[in-house]
Amino acid sequence: MPRKYVITLCDGPTCIHKRSKELETAIETELARHELSGRVSINLSGCLGMCAKGPVMAVNPQYTVYGNVTADDIPEIISSHILKNKPVARLCIDEDHLYNRFFRVFGDVNFFGKQMRIVLRNCGIIDPENIDDYLSVRGYEALAKVLTEMKPADVITQVKISGLRGRGGAGFPTGIKWELTARQKTDEKFLICNADEGDPGAFMDRSTIEGDPHTVLEGMIIGAYAVGATKGFIYIRAEYPLAIRRLEKAIADARREGFLGENILGSDFSFDIEIRLGAGAFVCGEETALIHSIEGHRGMPRPRPPYPSVQGLFDKPTLINNVETWANIPVIILDGAEWFSSIGTEKSKGTKVFALAGKIKNTGLIEVPMGMTLRSIIYDIGGGIPNNKKFKALQTGGPSGGCLSEDYLDTKIDYESLAAAGSIMGSGGMIVMDEDSCMVNIARFFLEFTQNESCGKCTPCREGTKRMLEILTRITEGKGQEGDIERLERLGNLIKKASLCGLGQSAPNPVLSTIKNFRSEYEDHIKLKKCRAGACTALTGYEITDKCVGCTACKKACPVGAITGNPKSLHLIDQGKCVRCGLCFDTCKFSAIKRS
Amino acid sequence: MTTPLDTIKKKRAEAINRILSKGYLSTKRVYVGMATCEIAAGSKDVMEVFESAIKKEGLTDVYLSQKGCAGRCNLEPTVEVVEEGKIPIKYGKVTREMARQIIDQHLKKGEAIKEWTIK
Repeated sequence: MPRKYVITLCDGPTCIHKRSKELETAIETELARHELSGRVSINLSGCLGMCAKGPVMAVNPQYTVYGNVTADDIPEIISSHILKNKPVARLCIDEDHLYNRFFRVFGDVNFFGKQMRIVLRNCGIIDPENIDDYLSVRGYEALAKVLTEMKPADVITQVKISGLRGRGGAGFPTGIKWELTARQKTDEKFLICNADEGDPGAFMDRSTIEGDPHTVLEGMIIGAYAVGATKGFIYIRAEYPLAIRRLEKAIADARREGFLGENILGSDFSFDIEIRLGAGAFVCGEETALIHSIEGHRGMPRPRPPYPSVQGLFDKPTLINNVETWANIPVIILDGAEWFSSIGTEKSKGTKVFALAGKIKNTGLIEVPMGMTLRSIIYDIGGGIPNNKKFKALQTGGPSGGCLSEDYLDTKIDYESLAAAGSIMGSGGMIVMDEDSCMVNIARFFLEFTQNESCGKCTPCREGTKRMLEILTRITEGKGQEGDIERLERLGNLIKKASLCGLGQSAPNPVLSTIKNFRSEYEDHIKLKKCRAGACTALTGYEITDKCVGCTACKKACPVGAITGNPKSLHLIDQGKCVRCGLCFDTCKFSAIKRS
Repeated sequence: MTTPLDTIKKKRAEAINRILSKGYLSTKRVYVGMATCEIAAGSKDVMEVFESAIKKEGLTDVYLSQKGCAGRCNLEPTVEVVEEGKIPIKYGKVTREMARQIIDQHLKKGEAIKEWTIK
């Protein structure tokens, strides 16, 4: 009996264009002919990143990749590879991309198969605390290549060609930032890795560091060589003890192996990295506030320019990039800038890591090529909304981002499209909401977060967010006034324009985007004093209808004893005692409780 | 003169040898997720079960390693059993008891427990 195989067929746009659908039919026919359907499964993947040789398919185990496949080749592949375990050599493409390794283990699971892993290429397949594991997967080879074959200017050119943009959220072209720093003529330059991940529900950086700390270090060392920095800092929040421990071990191991310190790998380039712990202030993710914090001052932003690339840490030129940006660098060097720039959309290249959370079946950390639609992420990878509920909104970019309605589900992931839709790429938080989520309440939640985290330096952010929060709170409490929506819009736009740093400039986004996309919900709250999602407790009430059979389940569930009634007779809720927790509503098996 | 590329190639060869000497070519390689999220879901217990079983029961053909988080949050802790030439088996929501059964049934008898695998 032949062994089990999984055929992964690239379902990226280029391969579809090159008729990958025909292949799918051909494979199915051929498998049926050999009665192999039970032994072989077909898995449609996202872009496998080999568009030039498409249509592409991979056969697991071994992850043998076939390129330029036509429907006529399928019988040969099935009869030779699947039946006799002899890969068809003439069709094999030897594309040893760094990310392929991940799919050798996980490629047959739909959730992973649709992704493309560049940053997270080693996360989940190597031991993060063993430098040998990283070395065995071509670790530090990019650094060696740079030191052997490339001048600093060549490295910057490659990063520019790759089209990589800052993954912290703003999307500034990384190569240009490097060039600006490299151009400064001073005795000393610094380099910073921003690992101050503060968005609620986002954990991209933590997972990257915990799963593959060396890739971040390697990216930083290459960056230091390119811009001429001698000292680097990783600014990471103290709430990430395991990530810190793994980084400390990785730095110590890298020093021992000669990847950090004096004369790296026998060259005349020297560089070292230190860790700086942050106390968890959200504003310290802003680059100038972060720099102040490293210097030992209070973490507050300052006006730019001068930008850190000109005048940064200790007033020296400083190159500051996010964890995810750094982790892309070794791949760009080893797999090539042209290859990297072939992935993604016209203006956004490569992949993006997202933390998928909220009302979605498969919560998790995903990495997808730029240009994938939000719909594809939610339904193909995320598995859709649980409990047959209806999709309502998608929040991207955390407290700085916006809420998108169903109309925007076909938006492609890239910096410009998301901005045009009224949200932002941000650092990668992605929260799915269903019909039970109240948009006003969500906006209030995020604003409460940014309001708490506002450093207080500039008035628009300090006072403005406070007033916006007051208005939102009264709306959710049923005390909204006529004109509150307009007041929020005016105030929000003013804060966006007048705030000193990114925190204030983006703080109104959740409010403005929910007003734009879900205005009627705000109107319901203000005019009708109703919350259709039943999330705002002050506006929600519960009543027992005559469908009640007297099963007493609600009476037992009520935490405050507000429900009275004898078994087998109609029950009653004491509205004075009821705290509107909704437990009775969830408990009732007879739909006898009405929410209003 | 040795270039940095020569050095790294030598280092990689040494690293691979060290990994091999720890038994990487064993018939079965077991990876247990040990990132903060996995540990919070209980992976330390699972790791302990595998560690003590390998030590006490003399499972010489098993290579055990920790790994970072692959990203499947709602199915953690995750454990993979990788065998050359076979589709790697990926288990989700592994508990102490399940780890015990994976050892007895999968590692010792070679029978993967299908119901627990991630699809």
